[in-house]
Amino acid sequence: MRHLLAIAQRELGSLFVSPVAYVVLTLWSVLAGTFFLSSLISFDQRLAEASRYGAEEYLAQMNLNDHLIMPFYGSMWIVLLFLLPAVSMGLFANEKANGTDELLYTSPIRIWEIVAGKFLAGFAFVFLMTAIVGFFAGILFVYGEPEVGKTLTGLLGLLLVSFAYMAVGALASSLTRNQLIAFVLTMVALLVIGLMLPFIVEIGVGGDSGGRGIGIGPTVRYISTAPHFETLLSGVVDTVDLVYFAVVVAICAVLSKAALESVRWR
Amino acid sequence: MVAIEARNLSKRYGDVDAVSDLSFSINKGEIVGFLGPNGAGKTTTMRMLTGFLPATDGSAYIAGHEIFEEPIAARRAIGYLPETPPLYPEMTVLGYLAFVAKIKDVPRSESKDAVDRALLRCGLGEVRRRVIRDLSKGFRQRVGLAQAIVHDPPVLILDEPTVGLDPIQIREIRSLISELASPEQGEARHTVILSTHILNEVEAICERIILINQGRKALDQPLAEVVAGGQSLEEVFARAIARDEVSSDEAPEPTSVEPAP
Repeated sequence: MRHLLAIAQRELGSLFVSPVAYVVLTLWSVLAGTFFLSSLISFDQRLAEASRYGAEEYLAQMNLNDHLIMPFYGSMWIVLLFLLPAVSMGLFANEKANGTDELLYTSPIRIWEIVAGKFLAGFAFVFLMTAIVGFFAGILFVYGEPEVGKTLTGLLGLLLVSFAYMAVGALASSLTRNQLIAFVLTMVALLVIGLMLPFIVEIGVGGDSGGRGIGIGPTVRYISTAPHFETLLSGVVDTVDLVYFAVVVAICAVLSKAALESVRWR
Repeated sequence: MVAIEARNLSKRYGDVDAVSDLSFSINKGEIVGFLGPNGAGKTTTMRMLTGFLPATDGSAYIAGHEIFEEPIAARRAIGYLPETPPLYPEMTVLGYLAFVAKIKDVPRSESKDAVDRALLRCGLGEVRRRVIRDLSKGFRQRVGLAQAIVHDPPVLILDEPTVGLDPIQIREIRSLISELASPEQGEARHTVILSTHILNEVEAICERIILINQGRKALDQPLAEVVAGGQSLEEVFARAIARDEVSSDEAPEPTSVEPAP
């Protein structure tokens, strides 16, 4: 445990003395502010329009959670796809580039401790990112009455999806000594599992439409992070989704460990 | 007591034999110079001894522990300075050594003393709070050495410890290495194997040399015996390698290649 914490602590420390952490956190905060504001303005406009046309039914349905917080979280999820790889790219690749892997692998520590330490550092970082989003959502509680449960569930969804993406990024970083390659690899992987898979299902390859399908739709949908995130976003905590995120993290951890070991066995 | 033992160590990269059938044993308290021309397999051997690279064949024992069967116990006994010092450029010297102390299992209560001792021994006191990136090459090399001794390991494996240093620094590092192996309160404590291709370095600090060429052992003798015949180490070195080349002409061998780090 001491080893694991030492690895995690050192990793976080290095992130915060490098410009990467600050660039990412600054961009993330600025974008969070921007999307929060735009969600707020659009909510306000729709409210004004609805009352102007007297759409009572619509007005009755409108609430801060579904029409402001959810789209806001959704936007931040998209931002995550592009910003997270910058954080995860160095996790393992840096060790190889510095030659410090030689120190770690000849120290009396186990590889799983190194992997777990790196993952922990990554998770701590995205926890901070999620907290920033939470701060903006929290502002609404000062002026309105959003549902606490739903707001937090959505935030949990964002946190879990960040954990899964961080795990994917760590795996990519374990495969190469070049941070740029790790960055591109992660971004492509995230775009595929985050955006492309659901899109493929939607255009009907999966077989939900037209009867020409071969029934892979549900599977493809299940692999993608999007539906699991959306369930949490809508305020539902389903064990299936929690298990999904846990499995993604576990698979990536096991593969990262295998990747680190295989480099030396070649 | 044997501190380092290599038994029939071999490393193959595809069709290339980087190290083949290398055996030697080093007793506690000895300082051994590990010599050989560039690409002879010195770094590969050291990486196998430390467990960084798995051997294709054979086994290595550190303080009685097989490096792949009891990796944790074996690695605890090793202080290793790789060819390039394994430094985190963004950390301070103090922060870095404290981190190394943690992963080398130095007890929390002794960590501060261990770090202070390593700083003192390597002459790093004045730069302790500096960021490693800003240090000169000589200081970085010393930080690398401090890293290897911070947990006071019985076995030191040093891959070209004086490379890139100026003459004064070289002298300091050498005296440090000699000091580490010299008896302390009546007992020899550190065993040192250091690779180099600087011959007078060997003459200055080593008691014994192991010379390898093309991945094979060419010579293993106490230094006193080697130079007893009045010949210089350089001549011995050149002849051992030449002899090897003649024999490899007779029976063609695959050339040894040391992989890029």
